[in-house]
Amino acid sequence: MRLVRPLENLIDQLVKLPTIGPKTAQRLALFLLKVPEDEAKALAEAILEVRLQVFPCSVCGYLTDLDPCYICQDAKRDKNIICVTEEASDVISIERTGYNGQYFVLNKEFHVMEGHDLDEINLDSLEDKLASGEIKEVILAFNPDVDGEIMARYLASIAEAHQVKVTRLAHGLPVGGDIEFTDELTLRRAIEGRYEFME
Amino acid sequence: MKIDQLKVTNFRNIRRLEYQPISHLNIIIGKNGEGKTNLLEAIYMMSGNSSFRTNTDQDLINYDALYYIIRAKYNCLEKDYNIILNYNLNVSKEMKLNNKKVALSNDELLKVVLFTPDDLYLVKGSPQKRRYFLDFILKQLDAEYKLILDNYSKLLRKRNLLLKNDQTNSKNFTIVNDLFLENASKLILLRLNFITIYEEIAKEVFKEINNNLNNLKIRYALSFPVNSDKINLDILINSLAKQLQAKSTIEKRRRSTVAGPHLDDLHIYLDNRIARNFASQGQQRNIAITMKLAELYVFKKIMGFYPLFLLDEVLAELDNEKRQLLMDLLINADYQSFLTSVNIDKLNIGDAHLDSIVDGSLV
Ligand SMILES: [Zn+2]
Repeated sequence: MRLVRPLENLIDQLVKLPTIGPKTAQRLALFLLKVPEDEAKALAEAILEVRLQVFPCSVCGYLTDLDPCYICQDAKRDKNIICVTEEASDVISIERTGYNGQYFVLNKEFHVMEGHDLDEINLDSLEDKLASGEIKEVILAFNPDVDGEIMARYLASIAEAHQVKVTRLAHGLPVGGDIEFTDELTLRRAIEGRYEFME
Repeated sequence: MKIDQLKVTNFRNIRRLEYQPISHLNIIIGKNGEGKTNLLEAIYMMSGNSSFRTNTDQDLINYDALYYIIRAKYNCLEKDYNIILNYNLNVSKEMKLNNKKVALSNDELLKVVLFTPDDLYLVKGSPQKRRYFLDFILKQLDAEYKLILDNYSKLLRKRNLLLKNDQTNSKNFTIVNDLFLENASKLILLRLNFITIYEEIAKEVFKEINNNLNNLKIRYALSFPVNSDKINLDILINSLAKQLQAKSTIEKRRRSTVAGPHLDDLHIYLDNRIARNFASQGQQRNIAITMKLAELYVFKKIMGFYPLFLLDEVLAELDNEKRQLLMDLLINADYQSFLTSVNIDKLNIGDAHLDSIVDGSLV
């Protein structure tokens, strides 16, 4: 059976979203047809607005609507410690544990398998901070999988070139798991239990 | 570990089946195509492994259905479990253990030893067969092994990709290579530890099966030299690194990694001679049976309980004497086993539980 073109188009767009399968996409599309018109418009506008107004902070890479972001502007935060994460969502998890240092968010997943080169990652602002001598410790919060491990080693080698201490979120993370899905208590313990990364 | 109850719906030619096995030997008789192996496969699926007969779950669904469901009740170390495996064409695969959704890699799922006619070629067959044999046991025994093996495979693919792209002078390669060496060596250490325990058990089993006649020996064969009188992680890392360094020109030409646990092997000896070349076909089969039985015993030794033993049509491959010997072992065993066969003519099956399957139903 063929659906009318606009409906099919909406389903095609929805199915591109993470965790949405064809069945769910169809259900969502039919649901959107039934909601009051202003609600549907509000959703569409929210999508456009977030795209226009939210961008990565030029200093740390965290998602923000002012530059630098509120974390970077907060004078009460510890300037000597910086936590490097893959995605902005990791920052949300780590903030909940009470961490009070700086961040550096890469905003991209890195897979050597897909032919990415480590040199492609823009680390300029991180390297500036390391060179300034302000940073005393770098915490690496990558997923405990192979790609996370590769990133960690790469960043560790850069930090160590500046003679900065490197630690990793190590304990209590489920093996092969995503940092994003770890509960706050486990993450809290992970921060306390970090160990010296190399030697 | 023992299953008390199994319910299968829409799985291959089984539309709906309820099965109450006993705690030791269960025999399922049926002509070819009636569904005896399907029932065994249904049990096997509860281990979280993908099927030993196909890689696509779609093949497993009864031909006009949209899903299959397998449910089992089992107990292990005095704990009761309730497990549901549900595959739906639209939703995909879901495993529930005691009503909680779990990953297919969950530690508490069924543990199995599978014995098919193909295993009779463990001795004669390719090194790959023996590595698969090792990995299959170790993955069930040790969650850490599973993780390291998984990481190793990914690192091997990355390393090969970098060789292919001629990127061996990059920062990427240095980091990937270091991680590759570490994971390779950890994997080998775990395998070596395992083989030490396993060989001791296999030697004893072999004596029993082979009337004390010959001596079995199993060695782990590395794909690179180690110049040291002891083995530890550092020694393995250094030795493998040295070998790969020495072969770097060959690696660049072949665009693949020429040493590591993905190329290691097990060497099996009968009276100190390589069994693959010198043992008779009958002796090779005895060794294969030994290796499967030792898989059960080593599991018990390390985990404290026996896995399930699934035997798919192996009787047909054995002579009458061996058949009865195997049957006697299974009847008197402490573990639960499931054996499929076309017939059991002339065999004494003791108090084994016997079922016949016709067109996907027990009759
Ligand atoms: Zn910022």
